[in-house]
Amino acid sequence: MIVLLSATPALPLDEAGKYVAGAYIVFLALIVIYVAIMASKLQRMEKELRELAGFAEHRAQGDQAAPGRGSEGQSISDSLALTGAEEAASDE
Amino acid sequence: MYGKGLRPLSIATVVAILAALSLVFFYAPLDADQGFIQKIFYLHVPLAITALIGFVIGGVFAIFHLRSGNRKWDAYSYVAIHMSVIFGVAVLITGSIWAKASWGHWWVWDEPTLVSFLIVFLMYATYYPFRYAIEDPERQGRYASVFAVTAGAFVPLNFMAVRMAQSLVHPRTFGTANGGLPGEMMFTFLVCLAAVALLWVTLVKLELTAKSTSGQLKRLRRALDAPAPGAGASRIAPEVS
Amino acid sequence: MTPSRIAFATILAKDLRAELRTLQSLPAMALFATTTFVIFRFGLDRTSLSGSLASGVLWATLLFAALLGVNRLFVSEREEGGFDAIRLAPIDRSALFAAKATALFVYLMVLELVVVPIFALFFLGSAAALLPLALVLLLANLGIAATGTLISSMAVHSRARDLLGPLVLLPLVVPLMIAATGASEPLLALGGPGYHRFGTWLAVLSLYDLIFLLVGYAVFDFLLED
Repeated sequence: MIVLLSATPALPLDEAGKYVAGAYIVFLALIVIYVAIMASKLQRMEKELRELAGFAEHRAQGDQAAPGRGSEGQSISDSLALTGAEEAASDE
Repeated sequence: MYGKGLRPLSIATVVAILAALSLVFFYAPLDADQGFIQKIFYLHVPLAITALIGFVIGGVFAIFHLRSGNRKWDAYSYVAIHMSVIFGVAVLITGSIWAKASWGHWWVWDEPTLVSFLIVFLMYATYYPFRYAIEDPERQGRYASVFAVTAGAFVPLNFMAVRMAQSLVHPRTFGTANGGLPGEMMFTFLVCLAAVALLWVTLVKLELTAKSTSGQLKRLRRALDAPAPGAGASRIAPEVS
Repeated sequence: MTPSRIAFATILAKDLRAELRTLQSLPAMALFATTTFVIFRFGLDRTSLSGSLASGVLWATLLFAALLGVNRLFVSEREEGGFDAIRLAPIDRSALFAAKATALFVYLMVLELVVVPIFALFFLGSAAALLPLALVLLLANLGIAATGTLISSMAVHSRARDLLGPLVLLPLVVPLMIAATGASEPLLALGGPGYHRFGTWLAVLSLYDLIFLLVGYAVFDFLLED
C-alpha cells in the first residue's frame, strides 16, 4: 500500500482528492436536483388532485341530499384531505 | 401500474450505491499509474456504460412502438432516452474533471471514448427540439421512434469512426486501467456498474410513475368534466395512461 | 416493372425534371460552396491548402452546401400533396425514399462535378488527387443522401423545418465526415496523393452507407403512416 502511495500519481494526493470529491459531488448534485424536480411535480399534482377532489365533492353534494359517510375511522390521508378541503373552502 | 415495485427497487438501489461507495473508498486498492484520481473511473465509466445501454434500450422501445403502435412504448422510449441524456451530462462532467486531473486541461481530444460520447450526446440532445418541433402528438411519437432507431444505429458507427481517427497510439490511461484490472478493482467496478444501472432503472420507473399519475389526473379531470388547469401541459413529453 | 419500380422511376424523373426546369437548388448550392471557399481563403489567410486543412475546408463546405439541398428535398411533396399520393398508391412506400435519396445523390454528384474543380483551381497545386477523391466523394454522397432523405422527410412536417434538418443531420453525419476527411487528408498531401488507410476509410464509408440506407428503407413506411 505504501509502495503504491509513494508511486507517482498524476497529481499530489491532496489535490487529487479534490478532483475525485468534485466528481462524486457532481453526481450527488445531479441526483438531488432530480429529486427537487420530482418534488415540484408532486407538489403540482397534489394541488391539482386537491382541486379535483373538491370539485368532485361539490358535484356529489349537488347531486344528492348529503353524502353519507360510514362510521369508519379516518386514515391519515383522509384527515389531510379533509383539512385541505376546509382550508381550500376557507380560501375561497 | 407503474409505481408497483418502485419501493423494493429504490431500496435495492440505495443498498447498492452504499455498497459501491464503500468498496470504492475502503476496499479498492490504489492504482499504480493514476493514484487516487483513478477513483473517478468507478463513477465515470459505469455512468457511461449505463447511458449508452440506456440509449440502445430507448431504440428498442422505439422499435416496439413502431411495430405495435401502442403509445406506451413511445413513453418508455422517451423516458429511457431522457434519463440517458441526464446520465450523459454526468458522464461528460466527470470525464472533464478526470481530464483536468490527469492532463491539466478541462477537455482533451485525445481520449476517443470521451469524444465519441460527446458526439453521441450531441446527437441525442437534438431529440428534444426535434420532438418539440412536431406538433401532432401521434406523428411526434412516430418520428421520435424513427429518430431513436436511427440514433441507435449511429452509436456503434460513431465509436468506431472516432477510435479510428486517433492517429497517435496515445497511451490511454483508461486502457491501462481496464485491461488487466486486478481482482479487487474489477469487483468494485462491477458493483459500481450494478449500482448505477439500478439507479437508472429506478429513476426511469420513477419518471414513468410520475407521468402515469399525471395522466390519471387528466383522465379524472376529463371524467369529472372539470375545467382545464391553468398551466400549459408539456408538449414534448408523451403522456402515459 | 413492378409498380414500386415504376413509382420510383416516375418520382425520380419528376424531381430531376423539376430541378432542371426551375434550377432552384443546384445553382444556389454551387454558388454557396464557391463563396464559402473565398471566405475560407480569407478566414485562414491561405492561398493554397494541402493535407488536413484542404480536406477540412472541402468537406465542411460540401456538407453545408448539401444541407441547402436537403432542406428543399421534400418541400414540393409537402406543398403539393406528394405524400398523400404515395399513401394512396398501392405500392411499397419506401419507393419514395429510394427516389428522393437517388435524386439527392444526383444533386450532390452534380454539385461536386462543378465545385471540386473550382476547389482545385483555388487551392490545390495539382489535380492528381481528384480521381481517387471522386471515389471518396461517391461513397460519402451515398451516406449523405440516405441520412439527408430520412431526416428531411421528418423535418418537413415540423415547424422551423429549415432549422431542424441541419440540427439533427449534423451530428448524424459526423462518422461519415470523419471517414471522408480521413481518406481525403493523405490524398491532398503536399507531396502528392497518399493512400494511408485509404481502404479502411472506404470500408467505414461503405458500412455507414449500408447501415443508413437499410435503416432509411426499413423505417420509411412508418414515416408515411397517417
